Amino acid sequence: MDSMDERPIRLTVSDDLKRGRLSVLFRLLLALPFLIWLGIWGIAAFFVTIFNWVVALATGRPDQDLHGFLARFVRYATHVYAFLYLAAEPFPGIGGRPGYPIDLEIDPPDRQNRWTVAFRLVLVVPALFILSVLASSTNELYGLTNNRQGSYGFSLLGLAAIFGWFVGVARGRMPRGLRDLVAYAISYTAQFWAYLLVLTDRYPSSDPLTAIGPLPTRADPLSVETDEDLRRSRLTVFFRLLLAIPHLAWLTLWGLVALLAAVINWIVTLARGTSPESLHRFLAAYLRYQLHVGAYVYLIGNPFPGFTGAVGSYPIDLRVAERERQNRWTVAFRLLLALPALLIAIAYMSLAYTVAFLGWFASLFTGRMPLGLRNAGALALRYMAQTNGYLFFVTGAYPYSGPCLATPPEASAPSAAAAPLLSA
Amino acid sequence: MSAVRRLASRLARPATLAVLAAAALWILAAQALWSSTVPASVHLPHLEASRFFSDSFLRRSTSYERFLEIEGLLALATLLVVLAVYAQRGNRLMRESAAGRIGTGMLLGMLGFAVVWLAEIPFGVAAVWWERRHGISHQGYVEWAIGSFLELGSTFLFVSLALAIALGLAGVFRRWWWAVAAPLFVGLALLFTFVSPYLIPSTKPLHDPHLVADARSLERSEGVGETRLRVQDVHRFTTAPNAEATGFGATRTVILWDTLLDGRFSDAEVRVVLAHEIGHLAHDDALRRVGWLALFLIPATALIALLTRRRGGMARPEAVPLALFLLVVLQLLATPFFNLVSRHDEAAADWSALVATRDPAAERSAMRQLATTSLSNPDPPGWAQLLYGTHPTAMQRIAMSYAWEERERK
Repeated sequence: MDSMDERPIRLTVSDDLKRGRLSVLFRLLLALPFLIWLGIWGIAAFFVTIFNWVVALATGRPDQDLHGFLARFVRYATHVYAFLYLAAEPFPGIGGRPGYPIDLEIDPPDRQNRWTVAFRLVLVVPALFILSVLASSTNELYGLTNNRQGSYGFSLLGLAAIFGWFVGVARGRMPRGLRDLVAYAISYTAQFWAYLLVLTDRYPSSDPLTAIGPLPTRADPLSVETDEDLRRSRLTVFFRLLLAIPHLAWLTLWGLVALLAAVINWIVTLARGTSPESLHRFLAAYLRYQLHVGAYVYLIGNPFPGFTGAVGSYPIDLRVAERERQNRWTVAFRLLLALPALLIAIAYMSLAYTVAFLGWFASLFTGRMPLGLRNAGALALRYMAQTNGYLFFVTGAYPYSGPCLATPPEASAPSAAAAPLLSA
Repeated sequence: MSAVRRLASRLARPATLAVLAAAALWILAAQALWSSTVPASVHLPHLEASRFFSDSFLRRSTSYERFLEIEGLLALATLLVVLAVYAQRGNRLMRESAAGRIGTGMLLGMLGFAVVWLAEIPFGVAAVWWERRHGISHQGYVEWAIGSFLELGSTFLFVSLALAIALGLAGVFRRWWWAVAAPLFVGLALLFTFVSPYLIPSTKPLHDPHLVADARSLERSEGVGETRLRVQDVHRFTTAPNAEATGFGATRTVILWDTLLDGRFSDAEVRVVLAHEIGHLAHDDALRRVGWLALFLIPATALIALLTRRRGGMARPEAVPLALFLLVVLQLLATPFFNLVSRHDEAAADWSALVATRDPAAERSAMRQLATTSLSNPDPPGWAQLLYGTHPTAMQRIAMSYAWEERERK
């Protein structure tokens, strides 16, 4: 795995999650001067980049001074966006100096492949797709898939900031999951710009597990386990969507019954405080099957999944903890409470589509799924599964929106509890 | 003497008796399905194609069809080679499955057709090129590729359903799965035939009041209840005219392609086509087709069950590639026979149309127009008719109109 330390562009996070309510309330207005300053700096960076590109093309290495100027610009942009999107609290200053709670470490200039320098503008296009769903102000891709004119909806970054704003104003804290999601998006954005501005020839990695340094290890009731196999069969990749048709048909039929079961589960859980064992098992199997099919369709997994959603039957698996007591108030108003999670899940779905689209070409040409794409897709699937689990009353735990490492719940997998599982 | 005794004792075994009884039943059923409304005494006169078609048209249509026939043969050979190789090596793809035996069997079945689809792309492209060159098709290459890819999706759905049934039943009934599967497949085919009018895309109701009135009058004279009349929008893809009768009972439907109603055919000619399709409904040809399918499926599935035993039987996914190959081979072997049945039914529908319209001149003119507009050879070689001919040739259909006229004169 490409560890974070090996990357030429590294995001460091030392934010303590505390927020000043007043600062959060007026965050957009407070950020305006920094955005204007960033815009002016951006004009200068545009011309400097052209010089930097010519120098890198001619000598195979960016100029030291130009590289320093552009590195500082990208670092400053990271600070400003971290401030704007509530990933950090203090004012970002105007110089882009190191030491900000969400900071960027950029290696000194190194040799770059001239071919990739020459065609940088073309090569960056696939990364632009990922950037669009992670961090653009509006999610153009999602609008296009729905065949509507114009754009609507929000990227993951935008949604995380909006929900973080409400929580920040109310509680004076940024939830860790939302903060890490913002940091993940900002990390990718920084890598994207560093690549485009010829600071590095390392392609941006969408891997959430290495994007923001040490990740929390969580024991969520619903967690996703992934394997190490990135090999993909070209034949099944080419026909992936068609091969999934029987599964999609079966998933639809099962989904109708699951929906009915969820309604019954709601009533029983509201009355008893815990869901019935049989319904819990049935819905857990449905969620697991949904994840298996999703993993197959989005190329997160390679083999053709089974039709039963059995535990351990697929390399990308959903671990579901034993049923637990749930707060009746949260059960009663579950649909309302789940709305923010649903919106984030929709944005994650866009990420999964993009991963599948790019992964399809990558797997077809190389016979392998890029690790970064696979892990980004697994993160999206995990969040969608947790949202559905929350909606179907399989768990009362709210979906965790940021990347994390997962330890399987002891109740469901006592033997594996000692060894943390790599999970998105 | 002992040999005669041995034969007699062999014949007296229950299994042999059962096979003989089944064969007798098969023959009786086939005989019932073969019945026709065309009087046995009708003899088609021999007619020269040059009397009805210009020499240039005959040359053009012959050359047009020859290309498609040869291309079809090559595609067929490719299909067989690809499936034969797949039958040998397809098992290796089992590693791409995390599903159980049924799911893995479904995957192998779908991948078999996927490989065939890939191998046949050049032939498909060649056919589109040829049809576009002759102005028969308007379809773009990308449009064709997307359509063909999506069509493969529906094939996958059917294949996986069929294999789920076969492998599921084989897990329970072992060697005798086919005895349950064949009737089940026939039941599904019946269901599909019933709902098929609703699955045909881009159709709308026939609004022309004259045609609707004609159809109602023809229904009365051919003894058919009121049918749904639909027009299918195909002019974006092809100039060739066509019509079909589909469904049965409450869903019986006649579908006319909009290329038939674009002004190239006179009212009398369209009426003949309508009468022909209503004739199919009058003879319950859709149900008869399901009957023939049953007569094919019962021995075919039994044979597949027998021949896949060396791969562990149909309960094992390893048997699926071989089963696919066998099914396709059996289907190909049965094709001339099915074509014969189809021509037989089409001839009966033609006869019903002549009886209902009493307009042999319109029948002749319609057949000429159909051949001309779709550039089809009115008198193709025998082998081509055997392999591809689902309808009597244009010359045979014209000859039938003369035979009917002759019979009426008497």
